[in-house]
Amino acid sequence: MAELLEVKNLSISFYTRAGEVQAVRDVSFSLQSGEVLALVGESGCGKSAMCKGIMKLLPTDGKIKSGSIFVNGADITEYCERDMYKLRGRLFSMVFQDPMTALNPSMSIGAQIAEAVKVHQPGITKKELQGRVIELMHMVGIDRADERMKQYPYQFSGGMRQRSVLAIALAGNPRILFADEPATALDVTIKAQILDLLRDVQKKLGTAMIFVTHDLGAVARIADRVAVMYAGKIVEIGTAEEVFYDPRHPYTWGLMRALPGFCEGQETLYTIPGMPPTLIHPPGGDAFACRNEYALSIDYEEEPPMFHITDTHYAATWLLDERAPKVIAPVGRREDE
Amino acid sequence: MKNSFVQLIYFGKKFLFFLASVFLLSVAVFYISRLAPGDPLVSYYGDRVEKMSPEERGWVEEKLGLNDPIFVQYIRWLENAFHGDFGISYKYKMDVAEVIGARIGNTLILGGIGFLLIFGLALLLGVLCAWYEDRMLDRIICGIGTVTSCIPEFWLSLVLILIFAVNLKWLPSSGAYAIGEADRLGSRILHLILPMTVVVMGHLWYYAYMIRNKILEEVRADYVLLAKSKGLKKQSVMMRHCLRNVIPSYLSIMAISVPHILGGTYIVETVFSYPGIGTLSYESARYKDYNLLMLLCILSGIVVIFCNMAAQIINEKINPRMKSDAVTVPAEVTKV
Repeated sequence: MAELLEVKNLSISFYTRAGEVQAVRDVSFSLQSGEVLALVGESGCGKSAMCKGIMKLLPTDGKIKSGSIFVNGADITEYCERDMYKLRGRLFSMVFQDPMTALNPSMSIGAQIAEAVKVHQPGITKKELQGRVIELMHMVGIDRADERMKQYPYQFSGGMRQRSVLAIALAGNPRILFADEPATALDVTIKAQILDLLRDVQKKLGTAMIFVTHDLGAVARIADRVAVMYAGKIVEIGTAEEVFYDPRHPYTWGLMRALPGFCEGQETLYTIPGMPPTLIHPPGGDAFACRNEYALSIDYEEEPPMFHITDTHYAATWLLDERAPKVIAPVGRREDE
Repeated sequence: MKNSFVQLIYFGKKFLFFLASVFLLSVAVFYISRLAPGDPLVSYYGDRVEKMSPEERGWVEEKLGLNDPIFVQYIRWLENAFHGDFGISYKYKMDVAEVIGARIGNTLILGGIGFLLIFGLALLLGVLCAWYEDRMLDRIICGIGTVTSCIPEFWLSLVLILIFAVNLKWLPSSGAYAIGEADRLGSRILHLILPMTVVVMGHLWYYAYMIRNKILEEVRADYVLLAKSKGLKKQSVMMRHCLRNVIPSYLSIMAISVPHILGGTYIVETVFSYPGIGTLSYESARYKDYNLLMLLCILSGIVVIFCNMAAQIINEKINPRMKSDAVTVPAEVTKV
C-alpha cells in the first residue's frame, strides 16, 4: 500500500533580507492513513514551516528548495496554486496555533464553516448546507449550533474559536489534518479539552494527523509516532513507545529531562544548555553538538546520518555508531527493567 | 427606551459641538476678513472709488454698515443671518444666497462626480495592485501613481489645456458650457472632461495606494491562511475576506476626504474658469466681498465639520466585530 503522505529530502528556506533562513533541512518521513505523527521540537526548529510548506501556504519569501512531496504516490511538489485549490480542504487542512486571529472577524462562524463546505460541494442546497454546518459544529462540541452559527468570532471564547477552526478544517473530510500547536494559545483546562476533542474526532473519522507541539505530555496522549526536530532536521523518529521508553538522541534525552516529572525532588528544573542555532548559517556537523554534553569530536565535523535502530525507529546521532563509546541514556528506561 | 435616550444624548452632544464649531468659524472669518488689508468699496464701485471724495466714502461706508466697530457689525450680521438674510454681494449687487445658488450646482457636479470616480477607481486600482503585489503591473501602477500624485494641479491643468485645447483643439479650455448651450448635456460633458481629469488625477493615487496597503495588511493576516487552507481560490479570499475587512475603514476615510476633494476643485475651477463656487471664493476673498465670503466660508465649514463628524461616527459605530483583536469579553461569552 502506498503511503498517504511521503516527504522525501524536503528543504524549505525563507529568503529574507538577512539572508537565506534554512527552516527545514533535508527532512524525510512518511505518514500512513489514520495515523497520528507528532512533531516535537523547540520554537523555530521548522515544525510549522514544514506543515505550511506541504500545504504550500508559505509566505511569499518561503520556498521549497529541494526534495519532493508525494500524496498517495503522486508527486505534488510542482503543483501550482490552481492545483492546490483542489487539494486543500479535501486532502489536507490545518488547525492553526492562535484561534484569536485565525477566524475572519467580520464573518459569522456559520458562514465561515459553510464556506469551507461549499467550496468542495458547489451544488449543495441551502438546507443541506445548513444541516452540514450544524452537524460539524456538533461534532466539535459546540452546542446550540443553530444560534451560535449566526454569531461572530468576537462573541466566542478562545476554546470555542479553536473548535470552530477545527470544524472548518474538517468540513471537506480531509485525509490529513495538520494541527499546528492547536492548544498552545489556550489555557490549561481548555487545552486538555481541545486535545481530547482532536483525538476523538481523529479516531472517529480516521483522519491522519500531523500534530505539531512543544508539549511532550500532549504527544504521549495523542501520538502513534513521534518525530523530534532540531534546527530544521528530524533527529529522531519512531513509534511513541520507542521514543518515550527508548530514546536514543541526546536532544530527545534533554527534552525529556526538562519535563517537571523528571526533576522531582530537585531544586531546579533541568534545561538544555545554550540556545538553538540560527538557521541563517547553520553550523557544520551536528547542529546540536555544542549543546550536547555527550558530544563526540566527530559531531563538530560531520553530520550524523540516520542510524537504523528498529524498522520504525531511527535517530541521527554518532553515539549510535559502533565505534562510539557506550552511553547510558539518562532517561527513558522502563521502570520494570 | 433607555438605549434611544442614550442615542439622543449622543447625537445632541454632536449637534451642539457642530453649532459651536460653526459659530467659532464665523467669528474667525468675520474678523480676519475685515482686518485684512484691502478696500471693499472697490468691489462695489469698481474704478470709481478712486474719484470719490472722503465725504462720499463716509456716506457709502455708513450705507453699507462698514463704519461700525467690527463687533457691532458681526452682531448685526449674525442677527440677519438668523433670519435667513446673509446680505448682498458687493460685486454682483444681489443676495449672496442667489449668487451662490446659481453656481453651486456646477461645483457639486465637478466635485461630486469627481469624488465618486476617485472612490471607485481607487478601490479598483488598489485591489488590482494588491492582487499583483510586487509583480510588474503593481510596480508600473505604483510608479505612475506616485509620479502623477506629485504633479501640482494647476500645472497639470495648464499642460492639459495646452495639449487638448490649444494644440489638438479637441476639448474646450474654459467654462462649464459653450455660449448659448447651457441646456445641452453634450456641451457640459465636453467642458467637464479636462477639469474632472485634473480633480481625479490629483487625489486618486493617494486613496488607491492606501487601499492597496490596507488589503496587503489583511492578506498577511492569519485568517487568510485558514481561508486558503479551506481550499478557497485567491479571488474568493481577496474579495470575500480581505476586501470585506477593508471597506469599513475606507468608508470612514472617504467621509473625511469629502471636503478635501471638494476643496481640490477650487484651484481647478480657477484655472479652467469653471463657474463654480471655487472661482467665486477666490474672487470674494480677493476683492473683499465680505458677505459672499462669509456665506461661502460657513457653507464649506459646515461641509468640513459635518463630514468629519460623519467619519467619526462611522468609526465609532463600526461593529466591534471589525476589530480583529477584540479580546474584550463581551456579555455573551459562554464557557467552552
